[in-house]
Formats: sequence, structure tokens, C-alpha cells
Amino acid sequence: MGYKFKKQIFGWMDLLRFKKLVPNREKHLSEGSEKPLPTSYKVNEVAAILHLGLQKATLTAIKEETKDTKAYTFELSLPMLFRAGQYVTLRKKIGDSLVNRPYGVASSPLESLHNKSLTLMIKKAGFFSDYLFDNAKVGDEFEIVGPSGFFYYEPLTDRKEVIAVAGGSGITPFLAMAKAIVEGQEDFHMTLLYGANKEEEIIAKDELDKLPQDKIKVVYVLANEEKKGYEHGFISAELINKYAPESYTLMFCGSDGMGKFLNGELKKLKGLHNFKSEKNAVGMRDVKPATYKLTVHINDQVYEVKASNNETLLVSMERAGLSVPSSCRAGGCGFCHSKLVSGKFSIAGADKRRLADVKFGYIHPCVTYPDSDMEIIVPQAK
Amino acid sequence: MNQYDAVVIGAGNGGLVAAIRLLQGGLKTLVVEKHNLPGGFATSFRRGRFEFEASLHELNDFGTEDNKGDVRVLFDELGVTDKIEWLQIPEAYRVIVKSENLDAVMPFGKQAFIDQMEKYVPGSKKSIQHFFELAEEIRTAQAYTNKAGGKVESSYMVKNFPNYVKTGSYSVNEVLDALKMPKKAKDILNAYWCYLGADCDTLSFTHYASMVLRYITKGAAMPKMRSHEISLALVERIRELGGDIWFNVAAEKILTDKNGVSGVVLADGREIKTKYVIANCAPHLVFGKMLDNVSLKDIKATNARKFAGRGFSMFLGLNKSCDELGITNHNYFLYDTMDTAKQYELMKKIDTNYAQATVCLNRAYPECSPKGTTIMYFTTLYMSDDWGNVKPEDYFKVKDKVAKMMIERFEKDTGCNLRDHIEEISIATPMTYAHYCGHPEGVIYGYESQYWDGLNPRLLMMAQDHTIRGLRFAGGYSMRLSGYSSAYFSGDITGRQTVGDFKRGE
Repeated sequence: MGYKFKKQIFGWMDLLRFKKLVPNREKHLSEGSEKPLPTSYKVNEVAAILHLGLQKATLTAIKEETKDTKAYTFELSLPMLFRAGQYVTLRKKIGDSLVNRPYGVASSPLESLHNKSLTLMIKKAGFFSDYLFDNAKVGDEFEIVGPSGFFYYEPLTDRKEVIAVAGGSGITPFLAMAKAIVEGQEDFHMTLLYGANKEEEIIAKDELDKLPQDKIKVVYVLANEEKKGYEHGFISAELINKYAPESYTLMFCGSDGMGKFLNGELKKLKGLHNFKSEKNAVGMRDVKPATYKLTVHINDQVYEVKASNNETLLVSMERAGLSVPSSCRAGGCGFCHSKLVSGKFSIAGADKRRLADVKFGYIHPCVTYPDSDMEIIVPQAK
Repeated sequence: MNQYDAVVIGAGNGGLVAAIRLLQGGLKTLVVEKHNLPGGFATSFRRGRFEFEASLHELNDFGTEDNKGDVRVLFDELGVTDKIEWLQIPEAYRVIVKSENLDAVMPFGKQAFIDQMEKYVPGSKKSIQHFFELAEEIRTAQAYTNKAGGKVESSYMVKNFPNYVKTGSYSVNEVLDALKMPKKAKDILNAYWCYLGADCDTLSFTHYASMVLRYITKGAAMPKMRSHEISLALVERIRELGGDIWFNVAAEKILTDKNGVSGVVLADGREIKTKYVIANCAPHLVFGKMLDNVSLKDIKATNARKFAGRGFSMFLGLNKSCDELGITNHNYFLYDTMDTAKQYELMKKIDTNYAQATVCLNRAYPECSPKGTTIMYFTTLYMSDDWGNVKPEDYFKVKDKVAKMMIERFEKDTGCNLRDHIEEISIATPMTYAHYCGHPEGVIYGYESQYWDGLNPRLLMMAQDHTIRGLRFAGGYSMRLSGYSSAYFSGDITGRQTVGDFKRGE
């Protein structure tokens, strides 16, 4: 050993200091406060209203917007902080099934933060919404998970000028954004091009018409009706260019068909800075029907359920009444992240799994169809 | 099954390694994790065409097959090294302090590091050589202390590791001054300080020196598929060894009787009988919420400790290659000053914290994102609970403001333009860390490495800190302090200690 360290005049003084390390720490520890340790921290309290697990919610109002769309307002048990454009998962046990569906939030962020009130815009489109239309009444109890999702205004990437293209109930996230702009939660200018077949199909027109025109410009576009004060036709590049500022962000929420059309129009747009769209939940697969055995491990419990090859594994588990986690139902959020033990499967759309998930055999049941008997390990619902 | 030999609470880096050690020791083991993914901070997430690393900048002390670091040796023993594809980080770091005209790029490799330092700071050679000599001895001494479980004979230490003992009570700057290191060399050498989160006037020299030594002599590594690959490999190993691991399952209570730990109560009320618990979470939570009848001694000891940095990270997916963007390095430290105590003060407040440790992943792994794109992540620490003052209605605005400050800082210091090329952005605040990992105030560094509560006294007091029979800690709050390697080591130590306790019936 070459170098000999010495700090004090005499080496033994350095040693003495070292020997004091333990008594010194013992002394500090014994001098801590006798007060009970905190049971809560402010940062964690805010985290709790941003990232809510399952909470009880009571239906307080139902408003018919159009023939096939209703606004359902809930009173939450806990305040919720969400970013306008996000969705929540609504959940209820119906018969033997535990049903979960993601629905966009139409109310303002401060409404749920300060008043614990949350409004979801729901279009009659399938099993759960049919149930809601036919059975749900004020006072009914539900469960809500969320908020989730990344379809919101991002000040660091998006332009101050936003063109929002909405179709049908795709208006929902933009309603929340418009309200957030009004209450100062968001800071951008929105031109809303809202497409519907006919005037009577426009959702929340009363609310939209009341928005301050200097911050939000609303343009209704009717496909099957010609009316004064309304644009007519599809929301095409030509129409967008007519309202487009010099440089802008384009946001889209609507049906798959409308999205496909819009995608074809993108290259004809002038001044487009970036484009973002909300993904839709995955539904049925069109294949020759077959039924497989799905073995599900949740903690130390094992269940065997029937899995139809035209439905996702998540739907099969929910049909069997299993309490399993889910949120986006589009393979993106990772809530249902599950380990594959055995079996063959197909994934709906693009594979959005992490690289290591593919390597170690993890799947997202919400976008996975069975192609054989399967066995999976699923986390319990939170 | 409601009975296990041991229950690990939390599947973070420390908890996962501890579980493997328990299983290797023959204990029937259950891991419960509150979140739906393993790893704690060690995970990844996807946005658009990018998969972002959630937290790992570079894994210290891993090394290569021919030059194994201690983490690699540990992973070999755990049986996970080969389940993971590893990359080597190309260079140590670039530190930029514009206001002090400092801009240095430092390489890995001891001799290369000394030579480069001599180029930047002529006349620094001897002091840097001495620094490495001290660091080597500290490393050997620490290995001895670890092996002995903290029970070491002081006469043995003095005889065999005199430099370790003599430097053991000093701060980084106290020792570097005694080495007569030129100021600029000190500034460059101290660049890593933010990885340990205490300023160099307070941070224990031995702690810092052993970390720097491991980086410089063993290089740094990265799993190709982000740290999620390590976490899943550890889970895979736990299952191979017959362990159970349950996700979305929180432990609410640790039960005790007159003989110490007797069980764990889960969030749904289910009770698991066990005599051994390894808590991969903050003692503040365990003693504050999970245990009843906590002794006054444990309350005082826990209250006495100081939380270290609260985390903030920004993740960018850019639609240009790093060559096009002009990002030349993998690992940047950008500071306002190399007076680390002053910098530490600036990092207490949201409005004055411009410090950042930034990674361009493509510089280590060009294929980590599609051709013509770049992945970057930026991290800072808050040295006070300033985020606790942010009102919920202001939260999103503050979050975006800080992200903007980070981008502007990077652009100003490096001359690159990022702002016009951001395709995906994601931001994690102390609230995000508080949510995913449950840490108080969004702390990501455990308890601060203050002079009195640094690495040495913690290692020397492992036996005293074991105040409840059957309860031990792993992770960043425990005896090895924070950081990936340290958390893995803590799991190794605490897992093996618990196996010993079990075998002796203690």
C-alpha cells in the first residue's frame, strides 16, 4: 500500500473520529422527535387524487343529449384531479358478469376536484351502455377507476392553436377541454370542427353554444343535412384548411371510419404541426367461432373459464365474473399486464407491449384473442 | 395458502433480490406488490413508437464477463445475469457548468480518467491517483464489512484498512482538500454527487469514493430492454425457485406478538402467517402505519432521519437522430455551480432548481428507438418538500413549467434544439413516484446520506437497527442507501441475514 491518508495532525485523531461514527449515529437517532410519525404526506395526498384506484360513485343525474347518447353524472366518494381529455373506467356487476368500460369525461377538471362531480357521455353502443340506457337510475351505485389516458393538450409539444375534430360522442374529451380552457386549467385556443349526420345528433349543443367565442370557436359540420349556419359534408382537408391558422395541432376523436378518412386527408393539410388521436377500445374479432378453455391464476386461486375466440381474454374473464384489472381496453395502459403460462394467441392491432414483456411472455388480455386453450397469471383487480 | 416462512413487502429492486435469496436459502416465500408491475422504479413504459426507461441512467458496478463488478457477481449467484441482454455505456459523463466555464467529458477506465483529468487540470495527476488508492482500499474494507454483517473488529479494520478507517468519518471535500486536489479537478470529480443526493460538504467520502471507483473501473451497464428486463428476469427467477409473487396486492399491517413478527395483513383483510418480513419500503411507512405498538425508540429513530431527494423526470421521444440534434454524449450533468452545497440549496425550490442529470439512450444503444429518432430522459431532485406546496389545481401547470425549464437548460448549455422535435413527452413528478412506489413526499433516494447517517455508520449498525425480531428492511432506505446497485445489495444482505435468522430460529 503506497499512499497513507492523514487529515488531522496526528493519525490517531482520524481513527478516533471513525470510532465515534456509531455512538454519534446512536445519539442522533435517540434525539429524534417523540411525536407520532406522519400517517399522510401532502405530495402523496395529491398523488391519491391524480391516480385513483377503485372508488364508489353514485349516479346523480341522467340527461338525454340525443336519441342514442346520454350524459351520466356521478357523485364520487373522493375528489379527482384529471387532465381534460382523459377517461375513467366505469364498472358494475351485471348478472354474473363484472363489466368495465372506459368512458370519456365530459365535465370540467375543477368540477371533480372541488365538487366530486363527474359527467360521462355515453353512447348506446353495446352490452354495458344498453344496460345503462334501460336500467340505470338516479341513486344507483357504481364503481369508477381512473383517470387514465394521454389524449390531452401538451403545452410543450402542441401548438397554442388547436384544431379539434370530433365525430358523434367523440365530442366528449373536447367538451372537457373547452371547460378547462374557460376555467383556466388549460391555456390554448381551440377551433372545434364537430361532425354529425344531422343537427338533432349534435351532443351538448346547449353547452357548446355558450362557450366564449374568443377562446373556443365551434363549427358544426352536418353530413346529411344542409342548414344555414352549419358546414355541410365530411370533415375534409379542404374544410380544415378553411379554418386553419398558420401552424396548429390537430386532435381527433371519433369513429374508426371517420379516423380513417381523416388520415387520408392529413397530407393535404396546410400548417399542420402535429396530429394526435384517441384510440378506441377493442371489440369483437371476425373469425370462425370456437370456444377454448382459459385457465386463470389470480394470486393462489385458479379458475377455469370459457373463452370464445372472437372475444378478448378480458371479456371472457369478465363474463365469468372474475375481478381482473383493466382500463383502456386498447392494449396501451398496461393495467391488465398478465403472464402467459401456455397457449396460442393473436393480438388486435399493433403490438404495444414492452420489449421485455414479449421476451418473458407477458400479454395484455384486453387486446388478446385466444387461438387455443390458454393458461395465464393475472393480477387481482385493485 | 395462508402461511409462509417469509413475506417480502414490495417488489422493488431490493425486495426482488431479497426474495431470491430467501428462496435459495430454502424458505417458502411470498412477495406482495401494491402495483401491477415489478421493479418499483425499475420499469419502462411505452408512448407511441418509443419505449422509455423509467429511471435507470446506468447500472453501476456491473462490469463485463472479464471484469466483473460486484452486481454482476451477485446476479450470477442469483441466476439472472444470462436472462438479460447487457450493453456497455460508452463514457463516464460530461459535466457542464456554464457559469463557471466548466465543460468536461470523462472516460471510463482508471488510467484514461487520470490522463484526461491531467489534460483538463495539469498538475492534478497525483491527487487523483491518491483518490483511487483510497477508493480501492475502501472497496475492499466494505466488502469485508458486508461479509461480516456489520460485526467487525475495529483493531482488524485499523490494521488492515487504515486508510478506510482514517477517511471514514470525513466528507468528500474534506478528503479531497487533504489530498490537495486542485479546485477544477475536484469540480470535475464531484460531478456524480447528484447520484447520491447529498452535497460534497456533507456526503461521506467513503461512500462517494467507492461509487466513483466502481463506475470508473467497471464501467456502467444497461439492459437492452430497459430496467423492466431486469425486473421481469428477477420475477422469472422467483417463480423458477417456487416463490409466489402477487401483484396489485398491498400489505396493510405487519402483525407482531411478544416474539416479534407473526404475520402480515393484506389490503383485502386476508391474513398471512409468517415469522419473517422483509420490508422493501420506507421505515416511515412501516413504523408510521403498518405496525401497532411501535416502541418510542423506533419512533424517535425514524423521526430523526432526513428524507433525501424527491424525484422529477422528463422523458422525450424526439423525431430526429441524435446526430441531427447535435447530442454528442450519453450522460450529462448540468449544474449552476460546482459548489455543491450551494447547488443543493438551489435544489430545494421548484423555481430555483435547474440542475439535471440527463441521458441520451441512443448514445449507448443506437437501436433503442426507430431510425431517425432519439430517446432522452432528464432527472432532477428536490431537496425539500416544495412539491407539497403545490395546490392540486396548479399541479399540471407546475409540472409543465418545470419540464420547460429542463428543456431550456439543456438547450442553453449544449446548443441543441430539442423543443421543435418533440414527438412524445412524459413527465414524472414527486406525485408520480409517490403513487407508483408509495414513498413519502415522492422521495426516490431514501434517507439522505448525511454525515451522521452515511454508509459507514449504517453498515456498522445493521445489528442495532434490527429492532424487531423478524423484521428487516431492503431498498433505498436501508443500510446500503439508494441507487440501483445499492438496492440490489441491500436485498442480498437482508435476504441472507433473514435466512440466517430463520435457520437459527431467531
